[in-house]
Amino acid sequence: MKKLLSLLLALLMLVTLAACGKGDDPAPAGGDEVAEGKVFNVYAWNTEFQGFFNKYYLGTEPCVDTDGDGVLDGYFENAPGKHWVDEGVTFNWTIVPSDNGQYQEALDAALLAQGEAAADEKVDLFLAEADYILKYVNSEVTQDVKALGVNDMSQTYPYTVEAATDTNGVTKGVSFQCCPSALIYRRSIAKDVLGTDDPAEVQELLNSWEKFDAVAETAAAKGYLMTPSFAETYRVFSNNTTSPWVDADKNLSFDSAITTWMTQAEKYIANGYTLTEGIWDAGKNAEMGKDGKALCFFGPAWYFNFCMGPAHDEAMGDWAICEGPQAHFWGGTWLLAPAGSDNPTILAEIMNTFINNEEVCSALIANESQFTNNQTVNNKFAADPDYGSEFLGGQNDVAVFAELAKNIKFQNNTIYDQYMNEGLQTYFVEYLKGTVTLDEAIQNFYKYVNEKFPAVNVPAE
Amino acid sequence: MKEKKRSISYAKWGYIFIIPFFVVYAIFTLYPQLLTFYNSFFENYREGLTQIGPNFVGFANYVKLLTPTSEGTIDILKYFGNTMIMWIIGAIPQFVVALLLALLFTSTRLKLKGQGFAKTTIYMPNLIMASAFSMLFFSLFSTVGPINQILQGLGWLDKPFDFISFKISARSLVALMNFLMWFGNTTIVLMAGIMGIDESLFESARIDGASSTHVFFDITLPLLRPILVYTMITSLIGGLQMFDVPQVLSKGIGMPNRTTFTVIMLLNNYLGGSKNYGMAGAISVILFIITGILSIFVFKAMNRKEA
Repeated sequence: MKKLLSLLLALLMLVTLAACGKGDDPAPAGGDEVAEGKVFNVYAWNTEFQGFFNKYYLGTEPCVDTDGDGVLDGYFENAPGKHWVDEGVTFNWTIVPSDNGQYQEALDAALLAQGEAAADEKVDLFLAEADYILKYVNSEVTQDVKALGVNDMSQTYPYTVEAATDTNGVTKGVSFQCCPSALIYRRSIAKDVLGTDDPAEVQELLNSWEKFDAVAETAAAKGYLMTPSFAETYRVFSNNTTSPWVDADKNLSFDSAITTWMTQAEKYIANGYTLTEGIWDAGKNAEMGKDGKALCFFGPAWYFNFCMGPAHDEAMGDWAICEGPQAHFWGGTWLLAPAGSDNPTILAEIMNTFINNEEVCSALIANESQFTNNQTVNNKFAADPDYGSEFLGGQNDVAVFAELAKNIKFQNNTIYDQYMNEGLQTYFVEYLKGTVTLDEAIQNFYKYVNEKFPAVNVPAE
Repeated sequence: MKEKKRSISYAKWGYIFIIPFFVVYAIFTLYPQLLTFYNSFFENYREGLTQIGPNFVGFANYVKLLTPTSEGTIDILKYFGNTMIMWIIGAIPQFVVALLLALLFTSTRLKLKGQGFAKTTIYMPNLIMASAFSMLFFSLFSTVGPINQILQGLGWLDKPFDFISFKISARSLVALMNFLMWFGNTTIVLMAGIMGIDESLFESARIDGASSTHVFFDITLPLLRPILVYTMITSLIGGLQMFDVPQVLSKGIGMPNRTTFTVIMLLNNYLGGSKNYGMAGAISVILFIITGILSIFVFKAMNRKEA
């Protein structure tokens, strides 16, 4: 009897194990016609938007310092989504870092399983960047936001709508920010190298690549670095290409803007104008701190607000922005509407809030130094003589960005861009460090492309 | 009646008790393995969010993997070589140190104090996730990391040394991490092996006046061989599947010049992003065959002179 029992137990264990593998236990499907699901799932690659969302949409996190003690303690009063929290809706965030395409992989898996997922497990909102937004926009996994009630996009910048619109003209999402990228320079170094830190005068001295190169030489002679990373200027070039990375016949090619960047990077490394540190490396970040030697950084508002930590901690106010040699944009966070979301009302409300709610957009600029996707609000701040960024030593960054935003074009983008842009930088730097020849670096990049994208043809030698 | 009782066989219970293992093995190991073989004959991947295939392509995936590049090298064999080199640099100290420690800990003559603490400590690195361990080393050995700061502070270096950009240092770092993570584990297994040897053999050897070296080479080592073979083969299999340590340390690209790029990193490149089950399957099959051959080789070599 005992033996029989133990056999039974062993079999039982097996059955349990097998059942675990399936994982399709049906969750309660919301019984009686509840309009909105109780769980709202968001996918993102960092916490930037999550902060704004909690502060201004839900009103669950403090956003201002009311008593001046350096601790945020005041809440945003008219948070449009506050009532959802009271009604018991939970907001779940899945954050996966974007490096090496990890975020895209996690997102693909979740979106392709959307059909079978239980209502509370469905993705209800996901964020995407310019580098891969087309992959999701031109696909069935996203849905028309106009049908959900996001109709008024008159305040947004046209390129942000263009990027979120598929080939049939259906718009699948909105961007909560507009991302013209600027040249961010260090005032103290600019004074030493250029003799001025006035944005207009600095722009005059750096408005072309020839002048940029000349200043780099002067800066190096004085012991400074022109840029902190060989890839610092990459986006300026890659955003001004005339052809996409991969054409309609799936042939990979280097645009002349990319090869120009490669020549520049090679020269800058050889002359000691920059470092072999990658764009997100610790060695580059160290250049933002108090002992930083680098004159120029490039980036949009999100970059100097969210990614220049050491500069905020150790060199507050020692910065300013101007257009630089070429107009460009970098990144940007689009909110896309996944097909099959069980929370369409909340979804539309979030999108409308971040593009049309002037109070929220104003708070985003005033408290968070964002450049929003609402032209009226941006222009109001741009014209306000009392507005200035503490980080930029009082400069009105919104005024600069409002001007730059006029030049943004969303063009020559492909679904492969993130892998191409990151891949090229990681393999090319090996050449700059002298560990491989240029040909080896390019071949390694081609191998990587072949491994990642079987359908893309790399150039034959 | 007596006759009948004697003929009852308890053997069947033995078979019944091992059934669960074989059922679990068949479902979770054998079936996926066969599926991998099957998948390796198909073109099956995703382009963006569009599924391509599965289309039967015969041996095309294998041909693609084994076709020499323009430089005349077969890349997968190169990556296999990288993997083996990094495994060997780490495995040699791993076995030497583990064997020494196992001898020290089991020695009845020394009776070391604080053994419990030492055993726990050497096992500790194995408890840390390999990727976290690798991330730690990445920061420690980066150009702005503490190791470089110390070396510069001592005046041994003028400017930061980029450990990960040189073949020898990058591979050594991977090997060092594998060594640190696994020598404790090997020590414990070898200790169990040594303690399994009949104590009376050591006693009689000592009475006969054998030196420690004699005891080690003529008693401990020969009797430890089965366990040694076992640990070596498991270490080899683990080594061939080396992934997280070099992946994190070299930012996924196997720098410099793909010399720390391992076979599983190659598989990961195919599988991540485009979900290329066909190519990933073919790589797995090739790795399976190579692992099988090497394991047989190690097994034969170690068991050559059967006592």
